[in-house]
Amino acid sequence: MAKTLFEWDYSEYPGAKSYPHLFKPIELGNLYVPNRIKYAATEENLNGLDGLITDSGVEYMRQRARGVVGGLCFMQGVFMDEAGKGQGYVGQAAAWDDKFIPGLARIADAIHGEKAIAGFQLMDCGRVGAVEVEAGHGPSTVPQRLRIFKPMVEMTSAEIKEMIQQHVDAARRGIEAGFDAMEISGIVGYLISNFISSYTNRRTDEYGGDIRGRMKAVVEIIQAVKAVCGPDIPVGIRLCSEELLDDVRGNTLEESMETYKMAEEAGADYISCTLGWQESIYPVISRDIPMGNWVHLAKRAKEHVKIPIQMAYRMFKPDLPNEKIGANELDFWEICRSMIADPLMPKKVLEGREEEVRHCVACNLCLARLFRDAPMTCYINPVCAHEANPEFADPAAAEEEKEIMIVGAGPAGLECAAIAARRGHEVHVYDKRDVIGGTLNEAKNAPYGDDELWTCIEYQQVMCEKAGVTFHLGTEVTAELIEEKMPDSVVLATGPVYSKIEGSGGDSAKLVNLLDVMTGKAEVGEKVIVWGNRKPGIGCALHLAKQGKKVTLVGKDKTAGFDVNPSFKWRYMIYMRQNGIVIYNDVDIEEINDEGIVVKSFDGYRWPVNCDTIVVSQREPNESLKKVVQSEGIELFVIGDALIPRNLSSAVHDGYRIGMRI
Amino acid sequence: MPVDAEKEITKLYRALHSAQDEIGKTFYRWRQVAVEFAGADANPQDVALRAAEVFGKDIGKSILPRMNWLKGEEGFMMILGKALAGLWNTDGGRATAEKGENPGEVFIKCSRDPWPSWAKQFGVPMEEVALCRERMYQAVLEDVSVFMNISLKIELQKAIPRGQGETILRLYKAE
Repeated sequence: MAKTLFEWDYSEYPGAKSYPHLFKPIELGNLYVPNRIKYAATEENLNGLDGLITDSGVEYMRQRARGVVGGLCFMQGVFMDEAGKGQGYVGQAAAWDDKFIPGLARIADAIHGEKAIAGFQLMDCGRVGAVEVEAGHGPSTVPQRLRIFKPMVEMTSAEIKEMIQQHVDAARRGIEAGFDAMEISGIVGYLISNFISSYTNRRTDEYGGDIRGRMKAVVEIIQAVKAVCGPDIPVGIRLCSEELLDDVRGNTLEESMETYKMAEEAGADYISCTLGWQESIYPVISRDIPMGNWVHLAKRAKEHVKIPIQMAYRMFKPDLPNEKIGANELDFWEICRSMIADPLMPKKVLEGREEEVRHCVACNLCLARLFRDAPMTCYINPVCAHEANPEFADPAAAEEEKEIMIVGAGPAGLECAAIAARRGHEVHVYDKRDVIGGTLNEAKNAPYGDDELWTCIEYQQVMCEKAGVTFHLGTEVTAELIEEKMPDSVVLATGPVYSKIEGSGGDSAKLVNLLDVMTGKAEVGEKVIVWGNRKPGIGCALHLAKQGKKVTLVGKDKTAGFDVNPSFKWRYMIYMRQNGIVIYNDVDIEEINDEGIVVKSFDGYRWPVNCDTIVVSQREPNESLKKVVQSEGIELFVIGDALIPRNLSSAVHDGYRIGMRI
Repeated sequence: MPVDAEKEITKLYRALHSAQDEIGKTFYRWRQVAVEFAGADANPQDVALRAAEVFGKDIGKSILPRMNWLKGEEGFMMILGKALAGLWNTDGGRATAEKGENPGEVFIKCSRDPWPSWAKQFGVPMEEVALCRERMYQAVLEDVSVFMNISLKIELQKAIPRGQGETILRLYKAE
């Protein structure tokens, strides 16, 4: 009989009726798992530089454990060598010595405290490792494609044996710390995947050659870890079902499926199905990839092995995994970024509170931060990585109840309103538009998945309504209205103003506003200049290029997309190239004339660009109403683009921070 | 004020050539320093060739992200050949990549090269220029070869003093 760690009965929960397949039990090896939900091991750079667990790391995991409602909750992968060659992140947890066991036990205890199954992951980062040392290790010395990664040194046979033993020793420490499930990470360019891939394993000894040789080290690790885990602790492995490395002659699809079969033969109790490497030239998880794009790979994996298959990758909502599990095309819904954005997401689904889920917008800021040695943060979840700070995680009730006027129902204003109202303030949100959402009403029309940004507004609307926020839509806030209402505090979240062009012709009829273009209200010619090379300009340029317009993006920033995180920016650069958009960065518009504009570079060169229409997306802070509020002696806060035009993330974070302090 | 195209292009043209001129001369200024530090026993040409190797190694790292085998062997070799020719053009030369008769063979031909003239100004033997170019490209190919798991070679076939005529290098895949 399978071992049961915690009893869970979902029968009375609405989510279990809506998504019955997500909340039905399964056995992993000899372990009973009450549902099909797994928080996938995710690095967050929250631990000490010495690899020791911190309070931040523990509280981060506790929240995710609460979210999986009895399912699997895996802590981040640990590195296992004292030399640090396998360490891929500055705040990665370590397990190369028994001294790490007490810290690891704190995480296992935190997960158990939420009646969830604690998972431990073994992760030598291989080609993506050596973050703190000069060189990494791998099966062969294949140069790095990306300069941010360290040079590789080929492992000797003795070093491979030592690496296998390190997995065994770390697994034993995980078990001693109290973890219930064990996982070996073999994905995205980490050491195990380096051994498996024909791209990075050029060895001619027993650990190289054909796919069986390249899998030898992996098979030995699985068998050795299984031996130390015993019958009651399932051992899984994360493996690439498709490397997306054809351009550098990586494994074939058939070879990838062979690795699945060999892992099963070696004794793996489940496989987490992944795809792509960090070096792949194809996008896998960014917003431009349609939801559910990769789930067919889980089905293919299930056709090759009998053990359970888990998968994440662009499945942010419960309907698809529920359907696929029901159709026996998937066994587990793995969740990573969706639970960075909302750690309680599956719990809310179970409790029938789906509308309260703050959805991930697949921007990959979380990953971008990790590769820049910064702690995890989330684009739209201001609490992420602050779970240990009660001021953030659960803002205290206001000491004095205030009447707060929030001007602007965009993402900054709504976020602020929801938090301030939750803390007991009387909050009134005004907007001159008839609808909430601010400039996201227009921004969501940009191509390549920007409609997903609107989920942020949907969430905020629900949270505002639940907190008792009063809306005054279609009401423009004026000096007279402020004088009439005389609130205790005013929060200006009015959004930006659009820049005037200083050069001659700045009043030209060719000029149109970005917002009017994005909603189709403005007439736009065939040759278009978009003025402003940040995200709103990029979104507009792509929107127009998709309509067949000839678009030139012109802006003052040194590079286009300064406000887009690097993990997503490369997608926009490719799309702009593919759509024939010409980009002039680090320039100003000197003149607008009958033919178009004269562009002037920072170092004085000038050239003409023909156009029929100039779309203004360049933004500036909005100073209106500021003096009125100050002159009345009312407490004033300015947030979002009204303060400094930035991105959606800054608006949400600004709103939250003011909402929790006001 | 209307744009005077001739004036703008002339300004740019002069700035580009001045920058290229300075890059070339800076190499030879540093070469003097390196030779001085290497001491009297060192062969200046060895010092220059070592510098070319270091340049090539670093340039090779920049080329790796663009390597793509999906275009097939001939396509891959041509892209690589064009990258090497492009590098020469950035340095002030006028180089092209042309497909050879054999599969996977590309000739990089340079019909104008300012480097021999700069070398002469600094009293450096002009044959060193062609050898440095060859060594730099060889160093570029070292990492590319390992990365793509193929053996790539490049050899100097013809070098013209003072950059007149045509300098030819043969890029090929060794068996």
